[in-house]
Amino acid sequence: MISEGKIAEKSMDMIEININKDVLVVGAGFAGLDSAAKIAAQGYKVVFACKDAELPDSGDEFKKFVESGMVEIMTNTSLDDFSGVTGDFRATLAKGNERIKKNFGAVVAAPKYSFEPLNADYGVSLNGKVISQTRMEEILADPEEKEKLKAGDGAVFAFFNGLARELDPCSTERALRSILALQDIENCTAYMYAGNVKVASRGVERLFTEARNKGLVCFKPQEIPVVEQNDDYVKIIIQDPVIRKDIELDPDYLVIDELMNPGQENIETAVNLRIDADLDGFLPSNNVHRFPVNSNRDGIFVAYSPNDAANVALRVKELLGDGIKKVPMDRGVVDEKRCTICLTCYRCCPHGAIFWDNGAAVISTVACQGCGICASECPMDAIQIGTFSDDDLNENIDKAVVSAENDSPKILAFCCKNSAFEAAGAAEKFGIAMPAGFKMIKVPCAGKVDVELVMRALVDGADGVMVAACHEGNCKAEKGNIYAKWRVNEISRRLEAMGMDKNKVIFTNIASNMAHEFADKVNDFALKLKS
Amino acid sequence: MSNKTGTVMVVGGGIAGLTAAWELTRQNIHVELVEKSCFLGGHSIGFTCKASDKCQQCGACSVEEMLASVVNEPLINVHLRTEVKNLEKTDTFKVSLEKSSVQVEDGKVIKGFSVHNSPLYVAGKDCADDDLPSGAVKIDDMGSTAEIEVDAVVVATGFSPFDPNIKSTYGYGKWKNLITGMELENILRENTFAVRPSDGKIPEKIAFIQCVGSRDERLGNLWCSQVCCAYAMRMAGAIKYKDSNADISIFYIDIQNTGKEFPVFYEKIKSDVRFVRTIPVDIYPLENDRLTLRHMVEENGTPDFEEFDLVVLSVGIMPNEDTDKISKVFNIALNEDGFLDDNAAGTSGVFVAGTASGPQGIADTIASSGRTVYETMKYLGVIK
Ligand SMILES: Cc1cc2nc3c(=O)[nH]c(=O)nc-3n(C[C@H](O)[C@H](O)[C@H](O)COP(=O)(O)OP(=O)(O)OC[C@H]3O[C@@H](n4cnc5c(N)ncnc54)[C@H](O)[C@@H]3O)c2cc1C
Ligand code: SF4
Ligand code: SF4
Ligand code: SF4
Ligand code: SF4
Repeated sequence: MISEGKIAEKSMDMIEININKDVLVVGAGFAGLDSAAKIAAQGYKVVFACKDAELPDSGDEFKKFVESGMVEIMTNTSLDDFSGVTGDFRATLAKGNERIKKNFGAVVAAPKYSFEPLNADYGVSLNGKVISQTRMEEILADPEEKEKLKAGDGAVFAFFNGLARELDPCSTERALRSILALQDIENCTAYMYAGNVKVASRGVERLFTEARNKGLVCFKPQEIPVVEQNDDYVKIIIQDPVIRKDIELDPDYLVIDELMNPGQENIETAVNLRIDADLDGFLPSNNVHRFPVNSNRDGIFVAYSPNDAANVALRVKELLGDGIKKVPMDRGVVDEKRCTICLTCYRCCPHGAIFWDNGAAVISTVACQGCGICASECPMDAIQIGTFSDDDLNENIDKAVVSAENDSPKILAFCCKNSAFEAAGAAEKFGIAMPAGFKMIKVPCAGKVDVELVMRALVDGADGVMVAACHEGNCKAEKGNIYAKWRVNEISRRLEAMGMDKNKVIFTNIASNMAHEFADKVNDFALKLKS
Repeated sequence: MSNKTGTVMVVGGGIAGLTAAWELTRQNIHVELVEKSCFLGGHSIGFTCKASDKCQQCGACSVEEMLASVVNEPLINVHLRTEVKNLEKTDTFKVSLEKSSVQVEDGKVIKGFSVHNSPLYVAGKDCADDDLPSGAVKIDDMGSTAEIEVDAVVVATGFSPFDPNIKSTYGYGKWKNLITGMELENILRENTFAVRPSDGKIPEKIAFIQCVGSRDERLGNLWCSQVCCAYAMRMAGAIKYKDSNADISIFYIDIQNTGKEFPVFYEKIKSDVRFVRTIPVDIYPLENDRLTLRHMVEENGTPDFEEFDLVVLSVGIMPNEDTDKISKVFNIALNEDGFLDDNAAGTSGVFVAGTASGPQGIADTIASSGRTVYETMKYLGVIK
């Protein structure tokens, strides 16, 4: 039975602390003003800081809050220094030579991004004939320029869309809206040269159908078209695979698609606030646990869209409430006498929860998520995690190994409470067959499992040890599973060096919803240990 | 604005309804959660993990986590196998609940996908008590006929997957190894590996056919379902990772993005899976329950035939089959695609969340449901 080996987590005492109720919004991205207004509406004071000299059109609601003083606007301002933790962030804002220090309970990152035309990908430069999508929209918005299109024989427009890069539905929608507007102008015709037409957004497929029904011809060439260009001439050549002939077009305008570009501001914001970005340079990291507006740091939220702004308002209200927050006491504790201020824990804490005081590292009770990575990495063994102290874990290991059935290999699995522990519990409850000698130890994150814990299980008499973590990219603590994997590799190396079977210890990834897969993995391991 | 009862009714317990219920309780609002079927979680509670060497951010485990939070939240009262019979608006809403018509076949026992489902098993009529797994509940004992009073209503009744019988040339239902994406999700969840329904063997050649029922002018379905490219590619990637012999083809019109970091994901999947830009015309059976697809070759427009061990129809997101009834009971207009119109919401006190209002994946559903809750709380005056 698994349940015997499941050792209960100690419950934790809670304490109430006072938190700051002001909110900092950084960045004049589309959702920044929206977030600021929605937060101010909840009665929290907002400082809205952005590098720009002027704000985009902000709407009446926002202006109302500015007038009433609930929103303070700081333009030409950047974040010079940033420290502290959720409920008590300390920011130094730089405006010219001025340095203004302010404290905040929560922070919203709403960095700007831009749209960049992809003409370089097609080897063309923008001129009067080769224009960007933005320029196209300007022409259509200007009655005079639009009038000119009507004169004469009309005009032929070619749109490039997603030929060199994967775009997004927003850019397809922009192109289609321009095309539909052109189709309403007498004698204007449009062609589209597309890669994957991105229609995965509400209403876009309908626009695409409408445009085709009104005469849009859409080519999907296998190769990027060849474009010949000079000042007053542009020609597009593609190969038609069916008739095996070149199809040539010399349009009056070639409209170049634009790609969303996170630019510098996103990365700067990530670095300043010590939050993760994804591979494309947008915030936060690509991890489902951040849905929809969380970052890896408690109290710092990310907003790009109207949906995000609404969610940010909910999160901020939940966090700040009436200024009092209940938090677990002693989630992680540093033994000041042992700490040598080596900075290891500060660097590896994924949630930015560690700071310095009186010559020792201090773990913030509010910001700490209790993952235990710092405790396993600290070279001085100076850190203990409240509900998963080394003493408790050692005791659990001893008990589990002693109680495991003897007739099959004794397997001890260290199971991350977010994934493997859930999957194993489900396997048990659904009655999926598991080896009789299987026992598990619940850990807050696989990143808490260190070499000593695994070795103890082996010394106690476990035939095999499994460290089961979330999939890479799915760790709530971002890298706990990667630390665990390194450590298991290290243990295998040591076992081998000692002349022991290195396959006694394995590392595996599993998701919380995969009971059968987890059982398969444990059963496989048991078979291997037997042979 | 009214906040008399301090209670909101959420109708539908998929990820949209679960998110809405959970978010409402974050602001101390009581929730009456009404779910038509015997289990919470909706379609996505049965999905598989699609990780390869990395998590592919499909969101399936987020649904699991949300369900766990909801069932442990004392402010949420769940009514399973229940529907709203009548809704009467005064300054609050007076709601009559009724047992839903959902049935379990006589003598059969069905099981929830998630361990957080409660009950875990539901038995049809004529099941001997001794044969029942522990904790099983009989279908006739489920369902609520309570009369409740609430301040506002969030309708999160979700979608129906496209019925592949409508595209008759594929012969769904006739050939054993022709399945839908929904079935493949469940197979992978319960078996770890992809297996053929006909013999339980691991298929070597697998085809996915995209846009089944979506983006189809003939059917009048002028929308992209937004999720089927993502789930097909992610499942293909997961299958390939576990079985490097798998030979997988995806037949498609346009590939849609999966979410963050799509360019990196797409480059990788292109090296694992063959992409063929055409939609097969029809499917014929062969010996050994194999199937042959007929499609037009992109390069020269001539027909080609290709054999597969397993064919997966990437069915899309259609309006809930009960939409007409829902629209009447809750007095919500339909949009031009036949989903519930979420623009009208705001003053009436009835709000729409999730795929009930149109196609979206789990991540978008979570985000948009948060927004729906924001609007609902504004209506209640709980937030300003
Ligand atoms: C094959 C397939 C695979 C997919 N894979 C993914 C994926 O990997 N990743 C991803 O992000 N998205 C995926 N999706 C999309 C995902 O399923 C949806 O985003 C999600 O299920 C939407 O949740 P929902 O709550 O809006 O609707 P649903 O999941 O449909 O839930 C609606 C709930 O409401 C209940 N209900 C219905 N009518 C009533 C009524 N009248 N009264 C009371 N209750 C009612 C239903 O029983 C159900 O429980 C996939 C979709 C399909 C079709
Ligand atoms: S890792 Fe340990 S020794 Fe180093 S600073 Fe942190 S607590 Fe101190
Ligand atoms: S337990 Fe985790 S979150 Fe807490 S301080 Fe240590 S590393 Fe940071
Ligand atoms: S692939 Fe999906 S289910 Fe698996 S870990 Fe990632 S998000 Fe969770
Ligand atoms: S997501 Fe892909 S398969 Fe689904 S309807 Fe859109 S284009 Fe077709």
